Amino acid sequence: MDFTLIVALVIALALIFDFTNGFHDTANAMATPIATGAMKPKVAVGVAAVLNLVGAFLSTEVARTVSGGIIKEGDGGIQITPEMIFAGLIGAIVWNLITWLRGLPSSSSHALFGGLIGATVIGVGAQAVAFDVVLAKVILPALIAPITVGIVAFLATRLAYAITRRDAGRPDGRGGFRYAQIFSSSLVALSHGTNDAQKTMGVITLTLIAGGYQAVGSGPQFWVVACCALAIAIGTYTGGWRIILTMGRGLTEIKPAQGFAAETSTAATILASSHLGFALSTTQVASGSVIGSGLGRRGSTVRWGMAGQIALGWLLTLPASAIMGAFAAGLALLGPIGILLDVVIGTVVVYVLFQWSKRDRISHDNLHDIDDAGHVVKIKKTPRKPSRKDRAKVAL
Amino acid sequence: MIDWAAFLVVAVAALVSSAVVVSLYSLGLRLLTTAGRIPMVEPAEFTGAITVLSPARAAKDAKRARKALKANPLTADQKRLALYAGYLCFALCGLIVLYGVYLIVPALHR
Repeated sequence: MDFTLIVALVIALALIFDFTNGFHDTANAMATPIATGAMKPKVAVGVAAVLNLVGAFLSTEVARTVSGGIIKEGDGGIQITPEMIFAGLIGAIVWNLITWLRGLPSSSSHALFGGLIGATVIGVGAQAVAFDVVLAKVILPALIAPITVGIVAFLATRLAYAITRRDAGRPDGRGGFRYAQIFSSSLVALSHGTNDAQKTMGVITLTLIAGGYQAVGSGPQFWVVACCALAIAIGTYTGGWRIILTMGRGLTEIKPAQGFAAETSTAATILASSHLGFALSTTQVASGSVIGSGLGRRGSTVRWGMAGQIALGWLLTLPASAIMGAFAAGLALLGPIGILLDVVIGTVVVYVLFQWSKRDRISHDNLHDIDDAGHVVKIKKTPRKPSRKDRAKVAL
Repeated sequence: MIDWAAFLVVAVAALVSSAVVVSLYSLGLRLLTTAGRIPMVEPAEFTGAITVLSPARAAKDAKRARKALKANPLTADQKRLALYAGYLCFALCGLIVLYGVYLIVPALHR
């Protein structure tokens, strides 16, 4: 196959992946402010989209070190071909869509890494993958980060409630946390833009370098940055409403003080880690802090069944997208016909998944009507008469 | 292998910064209510997580709150002091968030 055609295909696929990354991760920043009513759903995703767009331009640090040594590319090591990147992207996109359909907040970066690893193992051989780096940079942080940030969010929630406790029958003014939520969730969205859009830029730049269109060791070109920023912003605005529902209501009922504590912990952790060069998954950090804040408020319950499903999704992300990436890579090895088959099969799978999603459409206009999103939300059949305790909640 | 020192630094930095931000904002809210300026922020949209009360019950609650506020033992000066201290807390909180934005953008601190 013509080399320029495969490069064009990789760029197109990378942008599609960026789009799915955007709508998969809207929930990280905006699920909690939507759940507490701090922002209207449409406004929230709009703000998140703009901040992701801005964030993508602000920093290209992550893009420069995208594969982080997981795949030994470049001189001396084994050259990763555009075909392998192409196959890895197909695996990542399909897995992102499957988890979205299930409403599971799973890590888009893990899907990308998984797809690339699977494709490399088939296309080049297992010796091309630095498995020790995978363990140190992907798997261990994935186990530790949600627990750590959960503890941080738990303590922050406790603090927020302790400091604003009601005295002498005066209202506690905790509704004021809604204002704060607008800012804290915006900060999460901005830091997401500086992180996740970069991964796609890195992939495209890697391809351009491999194809000899760009000097080795140079940063992403402006048009690459602009296209990636736009793709992730459009994806964010489209909004993965299923995942927003899971994060905002499926794990625990969130009140403004909890939402603020959770978002602040998420933002602080992501900022600290990316500033100190320690890569974490935004999605896992955000989920961990929602659970932590659920544990932090007295009288709230965490739905551990849902949390278990999400954790299972995390465990599966790397191997599942690796298998799909490997399958696509196996086909791609057949030459031009294999690539064509990959494109056709990928398109069909994506089409089927979208048709499937139409059976139970979840969007901004029916987000709050869906009490019976199956496994996600517990249903309150008959609202009971408000008790004294319920009345006390009004100031929240 | 995993860089445990970097991990520990991230954990401590995240813990300290979020504890400080949340405490400052909460303290600001507390001071505002102490000053008698209760921030009543209505939700932009009523969601499943919000307990909706009937108008009559809400009015009754508001009346109770007003009564509790009248019983505020602070003098007018003390209330003003609490209000300004509250604003100071919010301002500090905002500054820390701005520092967070500064950290995101490498162009600013290179």
